[in-house]
Amino acid sequence: MIVFNQVNKFYGDFQVLKDINLTIKQGEVVVVIGPSGSGKSTLLRCINHLETISDGTLTVNGISVGDKKTDINKLRRNIGMVFQHFYLYPHKTVLENITLAPMKALGQSEKEAKETARLYLDKVGILDKAESYPSQLSGGQQQRVAIARGLAMKPEIMLFDEPTSALDPEMIGEVLDVMKTLAREGMTMVVVTHEMGFAREVADRIVFMDAGKILEEAVPAEFYENPREERARLFLSRILNH
Amino acid sequence: MDFLAPFIEVYTPEHFKFLLEGFGVTLKVAAISIVLSFIIGGLIGTLRYARIPVVSQLLAVIVETIRNLPLLLIIFFTYFALPEIGIEMEITTAAIAALTVFESAMLSEIIRSGLNSIEKGQIEAGRASGLNYIQTLRYIILPQALRRMVPPIVSQFISLLKDTSLAVVIALPDLLHNGQIIYAQKGSYVIPVFVIVALMYFIVNYALSLVARRLELKQS
Repeated sequence: MIVFNQVNKFYGDFQVLKDINLTIKQGEVVVVIGPSGSGKSTLLRCINHLETISDGTLTVNGISVGDKKTDINKLRRNIGMVFQHFYLYPHKTVLENITLAPMKALGQSEKEAKETARLYLDKVGILDKAESYPSQLSGGQQQRVAIARGLAMKPEIMLFDEPTSALDPEMIGEVLDVMKTLAREGMTMVVVTHEMGFAREVADRIVFMDAGKILEEAVPAEFYENPREERARLFLSRILNH
Repeated sequence: MDFLAPFIEVYTPEHFKFLLEGFGVTLKVAAISIVLSFIIGGLIGTLRYARIPVVSQLLAVIVETIRNLPLLLIIFFTYFALPEIGIEMEITTAAIAALTVFESAMLSEIIRSGLNSIEKGQIEAGRASGLNYIQTLRYIILPQALRRMVPPIVSQFISLLKDTSLAVVIALPDLLHNGQIIYAQKGSYVIPVFVIVALMYFIVNYALSLVARRLELKQS
């Protein structure tokens, strides 16, 4: 479904992504971990073309992401994204946040979009906040709205860029629970996170990155019990024993 | 009582009518210039924000040039220099044209910096959800930026209204100009005329800033 083939990316002379080869299948939950600056967010952001790749090929559903002929807006409608800092639209209510793209990008009627929005708000457990503004919500609630906003486009793929890193510890659980539900329902998910518990429980595969390279790919049990790479071992010991 | 005598003498219905006529011209010129410069300035500010190659750079040069010239010079230029190259305008049109050019440049900077103040993540969120660039600007960035820009935009409008008085140099029959005509009749009229002229400017501008404050409160 998502295929990276020999992808490289440079910022000037600095190489952020090195020889990335990665295939993500439909329904798979892939968790990308690694130290900060390892290129994991960049990798994720390439998938919906928020970042451009310098060379190699990247396809989503067989469509080349960087190709000039690709209708990127159409492609993006099929890929939901959740950001570390939520990026809800502060001037719009929760409901309007969710209905904007379905109405403007998919051409849904307001009625239809609102119905869908309520459905997903209910799913993430905050239907009662539909008429609130983002500033009236806690961080955890805001992030759940952001997930509902992504889902309302009925995408086949959801990208999560450190979705719990900006949250107070007691709110992390409520967001992870929503993500676990999604994973169980068969959503294709690519998740950049430091939540090792989540990765271990939910991921079909762990991708470990360092310095722009994918150093290791393994199923969670294998990766956590016995990481092959020394760098991964070091990373795990630091992150698990703090 | 000697001091008050000229006040009583000059405040006649005829003089008031004449001043109000002038004030009408001031308000008309200001209103048209405000609308035009808001549209043009908004367009320029947005185009510069969008960093369209060549277009944005070209606009930057034009805006910087205009912003660094005195308004008085632009007024003179419009009325006295443009006819030399075959562009002739009557006084009111020339005043509106000069003010619009100058204020568009000023407003475009306010609008550009207002747009720049919205975090890039907002654009990314919009684009990632499948909205195109124009839709993202229109539904996400502009509404947020406009709210932040209300106070500086209104204060620019107030400047514009006051700046219309500079057009006396091309004999625009505005409030200040008509005031001058009245006090030219008699030296002792100067102070009473200035008082009433100042009051008229003050009331309208103060009302504008009250509106701005209301809008600001409404947002928060």
